[in-house]
Amino acid sequence: MSWMSPWIEGIGILDSAPAWVLAALSLIVIYIFIVVPCAALISYLDRKLTADFQARVGPNQAGPAGIFQPLVDGLKLLQKQPRDPVSWREAAWLSVHTMALYSTVAVLPLGSAVLLVDTDMSAFLPFWSALVLALGTMLLGFSQSGVPGWFGGIRVAAQTLAGAFPALIALLCSGVAAGGFRWSLLAAAQGTSPLQWTAFANPFQFLAFAVFVVSGLVTLGIPPMDAPFSSTDTHGGVSSGLWGRRYILFRLGRFYGFFLWSVIAVTIFLGAWSLPFGGSDYLREQGYLRLLQTLELLWLLLKTLLLMILVIWAARVNPRTRVDQVTDFAWTVLSPFALLALIGASVVVAWGYFQ
Amino acid sequence: MRGSVFSTLVAYLKDVLWALRSVWGSCLTAVPYLFGSGDLHREVTELYPDPISSKTPDDLPAKSRGFLFNDIDRCSGCRECEKICPARCIRIEAEPAADESKIWISVFDVDFSKCVFCGICVEVCGPNSLRHTREFEGASYSNNEMVTRFGRGWVSPEQRKKWAAMRRQIEEEDGVRS
Repeated sequence: MSWMSPWIEGIGILDSAPAWVLAALSLIVIYIFIVVPCAALISYLDRKLTADFQARVGPNQAGPAGIFQPLVDGLKLLQKQPRDPVSWREAAWLSVHTMALYSTVAVLPLGSAVLLVDTDMSAFLPFWSALVLALGTMLLGFSQSGVPGWFGGIRVAAQTLAGAFPALIALLCSGVAAGGFRWSLLAAAQGTSPLQWTAFANPFQFLAFAVFVVSGLVTLGIPPMDAPFSSTDTHGGVSSGLWGRRYILFRLGRFYGFFLWSVIAVTIFLGAWSLPFGGSDYLREQGYLRLLQTLELLWLLLKTLLLMILVIWAARVNPRTRVDQVTDFAWTVLSPFALLALIGASVVVAWGYFQ
Repeated sequence: MRGSVFSTLVAYLKDVLWALRSVWGSCLTAVPYLFGSGDLHREVTELYPDPISSKTPDDLPAKSRGFLFNDIDRCSGCRECEKICPARCIRIEAEPAADESKIWISVFDVDFSKCVFCGICVEVCGPNSLRHTREFEGASYSNNEMVTRFGRGWVSPEQRKKWAAMRRQIEEEDGVRS
């Protein structure tokens, strides 16, 4: 809990609380104050940008320029009644989903001082999370009393398996360059200026970055690779029988996957949380730990949101890809290019080693 | 006829490049909508219903099909519209009035909760009594309110007896004349 101490010192009440209470509280605080507001912001920006692309107005009724629209949507969904008692598959989905959401919050790298889990396996944990989320989503699809849900479930599984391989190879590329999969190591391997980021170190790393982002879309079913979830293709697919609170949980899970993946991509390829112009080192030397944490978090979130907006941009102007084409694409295009990037990145690292 | 490994590889890379250019091109297409000025940046949809739309029924296109209106004085009660309606939203009850040539249309209901505004009833209408208006705002809280009634109302038994007497009188007069 060392990273929390600068935050807790000023409060005083929580000093005597046991560590597990603090850990649980911190997960909830991170979830409520970082993930949910980012979800609201991204969904608002998504709707406004899409409206602009299509020469529409977009949400404009709730608050100035409609900025409270996500809040209003959430409240509307909250007050809906649940329809059925929860089936065992749906219960499995709910528990798996909740576990995946809250346990991987601990893995999120949110700054040099906010690293709850910083082991040699850190960078692989998001894969576990993505696979678990996909498993839960598949179970959810099978629990629907209709064909759209069943097909959606199978498609989710196929897409996740297809996307996980190139994503893993692309992750190896950054690990090869950094010399390990510790968050702190991956961040330290990159400088503060964009030219020293892993993604721009050499063409192979940039290829790995692109493959990582795109295969994340495939793995998690993010637009435009969201055929298993699309309302036009399979009536909402796995989510065809969901509404109300369960639908909020489902949407939050979908967003959380996207957010998690973008944070990871920024951390391992786009300079992590290091403030520009050596700001991190300066603040650490001066002892402004709380300011350091806040600024690093904001800088990381800014980069993450920009990456997400770029993905949304591409998603909203391109047609949704059919599910078999997505899996084809992942196996025949992403995977070879990921392997190419891995070979190239390894050669570059070996070259530097023998020099 | 299969090509060499090299040509296959080149075709594959060309495909990938084509896909990249396609995605990039469509991303660029969106830029003027976001930042440009002029027609592309202007929203083509407008706020509805608040603030009140600047469009009035007169601004609608010439052949726009709004709610139906039946001029009951011209209506002959032929039931052509009722027969042809694909949504079966028209209900007609009619009976002979005082004169054989006159029809008393007691019920002419159009259920706009079923109507699809296809306009076929207007096309088949012989006396041109049924037509589309330009009104289109008809939201209501119950299905009953969606039914518009053009009929003259049910005929009372006394009235029916009176008409029967009148018809008999006319027939007798005709018989005398011939």
